Amino acid sequence: MRRIKLLSLCAAFVGAMALTACTHVISQETSLPSSHPEALGEGRVDCSECHEDKIKGVLKPYASFSHTPVFVKNHRFYAGEDGRLCGVCHKPSFCTDCHANELEIKPSIRYGNRPDRELVHRGDYLTRHRIDGKIDPTSCFKCHGRTNNEQCVACHR
Amino acid sequence: MKHKLRLMTLAFASLPSLAAAADLGIDATSLIRLEERSVPGFKDENVVPATQFLGVDLDKLGDGNLSFHLHGWGRVDLAHRSTDEGTTDGDLSYAYLAYRFPKADGLIRLGRFYVYEGIAAEQLDGVSVRGDLAKGFTASLFGGAPVRLDITDRNKGDYVVGGRVGFRVPGILEIGASALREGNTDTGQTADLKNYRQLVGGDIWLAPFRMIEVRGHSSYNTATDGFAEHSYLVLFQPLKDLSISAEYNDYRLKDYFASTNLRSLFNPDKGETLRSYGGSVTYVIAKPVEVSADYKRINYHGDSHGNTHRYGGEVRLTLADRKVRAGVSYHRADSSRADVNSYHEVRGWGLYDATAYFASLDAIAHFYRQSIDTRSHDYEFVGSAGYRILPNLALSGDIAYGRNPRLDSELRGVVRLTWNFTSTSKGAAK
Ligand code: HEC
Ligand code: HEC
Ligand code: HEC
Ligand code: HEC
Ligand code: HEC
Repeated sequence: MRRIKLLSLCAAFVGAMALTACTHVISQETSLPSSHPEALGEGRVDCSECHEDKIKGVLKPYASFSHTPVFVKNHRFYAGEDGRLCGVCHKPSFCTDCHANELEIKPSIRYGNRPDRELVHRGDYLTRHRIDGKIDPTSCFKCHGRTNNEQCVACHR
Repeated sequence: MKHKLRLMTLAFASLPSLAAAADLGIDATSLIRLEERSVPGFKDENVVPATQFLGVDLDKLGDGNLSFHLHGWGRVDLAHRSTDEGTTDGDLSYAYLAYRFPKADGLIRLGRFYVYEGIAAEQLDGVSVRGDLAKGFTASLFGGAPVRLDITDRNKGDYVVGGRVGFRVPGILEIGASALREGNTDTGQTADLKNYRQLVGGDIWLAPFRMIEVRGHSSYNTATDGFAEHSYLVLFQPLKDLSISAEYNDYRLKDYFASTNLRSLFNPDKGETLRSYGGSVTYVIAKPVEVSADYKRINYHGDSHGNTHRYGGEVRLTLADRKVRAGVSYHRADSSRADVNSYHEVRGWGLYDATAYFASLDAIAHFYRQSIDTRSHDYEFVGSAGYRILPNLALSGDIAYGRNPRLDSELRGVVRLTWNFTSTSKGAAK
């Protein structure tokens, strides 16, 4: 019942959005492309190699999205505001390689051929996690503890 | 599991009808792992799980703005059981229809998908809508049923709704306010828990000068009445090749862990606060050589685990149009408490990607302050080699060998076949 109510609420929102679309409430800027026009290979990208100025729609400089070590470690801040930009180059499955509700293979094993990537849990993590988990459990809670717990309950109840 | 299979079949069954005159993309990865686990005191055991990952993208459906996206995996054990679950398992991570508007980055999604909006990071079966409004405003809204775990329904609600509004000043500022409510969560035995999860938060991007950027967010848990998180990052780039960052994070575990379904690990009841701060410096010495150093101090206020310093450095090489990449790194986790172990980590790796062949080597070792089960260190070597049979079909194999406190020796082989098919030549594949 609740779900139906919710769905109709959302449907109403969508309807309202479509109606107001013709008015000036909606931005007239053209959307970002559904995929990046130029194929980019493996490895970290420096946007400023090919771009200057600001990204339309996003209204932030291209350079601010260069995949520096700091960007990669802190990408959560970028994803929370400009997720649609990530979608220009990344399928959601790129994110779910590391962010899953349920998965069994460590990203570092799945991509054993990509030592250059910042994949979580390299080496013997079943041993090391006892230390990392005590030092800072909040870092784990972004991926475990509400989701992706299936492997943990074998030892933790 | 049954439910998932049904969803998968349904999703696949609906493909052909949608596919007429559309662009089709398929990513398939098959992985076979061969592991010999040698546990001290037990007979050696071989496990051979075969996992299939599958992604399907149908673009340019209907009027050209509609698309369908699906991704999931399934596993079968070919020898001994590889997990404590059954000999097969699988998961559908997403399957949704998306409608992209040509203007204002409008997007509607329907089905199972992930949302990342401000403080929300959720997987749900439902609807989401977003778009840019006039005068720099943006809005997004989502609602549906949270995707449950196989093992436990605990602490997942019947519904989840949320959204974010943002305001931007081009090139200078974005501020956002987001909120989320998950209702009718199962509180299990613990009767004094609230039966809902409700968070409100704010996020910011600020670039007052060319060289400085601030990013961060705060979230407030209105179910437990307290700030769950404050996390902020400052970036300073005085020269093109030099960047400096500083971060500050503050978590109240009572409010941050309130919605966990593993209370024994993520314990909200101790009333603790965890604060961390640190920074990093990255310097591009010359185009192919990048050096970085980082430091982080993690403090518990409350006394279960004490304080820790984490620091380290990395040198990365990128040569020959990124065909050759290599790196060495050192990291240290140094805890001030005797009952929390500390370690050094050293790592070295390299990879070579010629057009047809590719190969890589990776070595990692840890040295513990206190021995764990009589061993003071662990190491693992991974070697990988592969061949592109066709530009979009690659076969690769890894061999990994290691010793660690749990296992006398761990030998693992991985055979990996990846196939990326697209029916269109326009645009870049993702
Ligand atoms: C190898 C060069 C190259 C790199 C590196 C690169 N891009 Fe692009 N990008 C292009 C080209 C070419 C286009 C199409 C022409 C254009 O719109 O500028 C494009 C277009 C885009 C567009 C669409 C622009 C529009 O107005 O339609 C976006 C958004 C974009 N790139 C974002 C990025 C981001 C973010 C990065 C860094 C993470 C990046 N690009 C890195 C070459 C590159
Ligand atoms: C212009 C294209 C482009 C855009 C836009 C883009 N990325 Fe990337 N990103 C890449 C490429 C290319 C890689 C390297 C993939 C590889 O090495 O296989 C990458 C890698 C990554 C990685 C993995 C790094 C690692 O070492 O494992 C993360 C995380 C990431 N991106 C997050 C994001 C987020 C979050 C956004 C949106 C804010 C985003 N990206 C936007 C092109 C892009
Ligand atoms: C290589 C692994 C990897 C990939 C790929 C990856 N992430 Fe992450 N992500 C992480 C890690 C590690 C963290 C935790 C960072 C921390 O502790 O601050 C994280 C955190 C996040 C968070 C914060 C979650 C929370 O609950 O606070 C969001 C949102 C996020 N990532 C979005 C994305 C998106 C969007 C993509 C794809 C464009 C992506 N990530 C790809 C590793 C990854
Ligand atoms: C970016 C998301 C992410 C973060 C952050 C993260 N993990 Fe994981 N973790 C995974 C994924 C994905 C797997 C592989 C799937 C699985 O086994 O559940 C995994 C697996 C594990 C495993 C099983 C390893 C094995 O060899 O089977 C342990 C233990 C673990 N994580 C502990 C932790 C701890 C402790 C932290 C915090 C210090 C943490 N994780 C942070 C994503 C993450
Ligand atoms: C093979 C058994 C095993 C598995 C599987 C396992 N752990 Fe652990 N974990 C341990 C042991 C043993 C400890 C150390 C307990 C101690 O010292 O009190 C530990 C400690 C931890 C801690 C620190 C707890 C504390 O004392 O504060 C965290 C956090 C943690 N594990 C998270 C995870 C997560 C998340 C997963 C699943 C992704 C996982 N573990 C899977 C055995 C395991």
